[in-house]
Amino acid sequence: MWQALHEELEPLGLSVVTVALDFDPAKARPWISAAGATHPSLIDADHHVDELFGISNVPMAVWIDETGTLVRPAEGASIQASPLRSMEISDDLPERLRLVLSEFKNMPDTAEAYRAAIVDWAHRGADSPYALTPDEVVARSQPRSADHSRAAACFELGHHLHVQGDHAAAIAWWKQAHALFPENWTYKRQAWTLESTPDGEDSDKAQEVQDVYGTSWSDEFLRMGGGAAYVIAPRL
Amino acid sequence: MLLTELTVPAVDFEAATGWSARPEGMCKGEVCVPAPGAVIDGAIDVEAVSARLGMALVHDADRGVWALGPESGGRALTTAVAPELVLPDADGNPFKLSAMHGRKVLLVAWASW
Repeated sequence: MWQALHEELEPLGLSVVTVALDFDPAKARPWISAAGATHPSLIDADHHVDELFGISNVPMAVWIDETGTLVRPAEGASIQASPLRSMEISDDLPERLRLVLSEFKNMPDTAEAYRAAIVDWAHRGADSPYALTPDEVVARSQPRSADHSRAAACFELGHHLHVQGDHAAAIAWWKQAHALFPENWTYKRQAWTLESTPDGEDSDKAQEVQDVYGTSWSDEFLRMGGGAAYVIAPRL
Repeated sequence: MLLTELTVPAVDFEAATGWSARPEGMCKGEVCVPAPGAVIDGAIDVEAVSARLGMALVHDADRGVWALGPESGGRALTTAVAPELVLPDADGNPFKLSAMHGRKVLLVAWASW
């Protein structure tokens, strides 16, 4: 998907650069190989871009112009409509699953418009209405409170201790990060992947981490406001 | 930024946080914040800068390690000047974001999870 966009826009002077937020680079590499990526495909095991740009979920993107100036802040970056939005929800399904699936339909439907905005910028550069001024970029970036800063520090400290082999200590710091900045899905989803389940850590159920974190992806998804709150929709 | 002591060389501080020590104070992009006493002989007093810029400082006393969060009290971006970013590609070769100067960049964060 990103590779196709890169190939389309590279002759116009635009490069896609992907950054995988994975503690374990080995988890990201198969996806990069499978995509046949010819654009820079980077791995950010330490989650530097989370705080550098304000990335709080995936996929999110920023736009950077030829002079190294941001022209759009971090925002949800889907360029393909999710099939989950148009899925029929059978009455036979358990109620909780129906609730989650119906919330998917509340996710902002901006994929087509966002892709068109990128193409417009590639063609017109600073004349594109989607390329913002520096002041607009800063003003439209997400708020950052003292708690958000503390959450970033707790997340980083947790990762350091995890790498040192002290996973129990890491969990305690990550729980603090999650409590301080619950809107940050990156901190939660990344930490959860380290908890194995009866089906193995690569199972989808690795998002069901009741035993360790007392919560799950679907609990958090519903608690935090469902589909409308899950994505920071680009204001186009 | 991870720390094992609360005084660090200014060059290391800038590489990790994007904030550089200049005569007018601590600066990132075009933004400068006066921070008297924050720099002594080319080293950053982390506690002073933390207080001045709203960078949370957390301490794991048992393990003797601190982590410093990003500046706060405003927006996630202090400036529209893109920070330098050096990350490995899938083969482990370092890639500098600044190598893309002269091209437009769509920087997309994703994850395997």
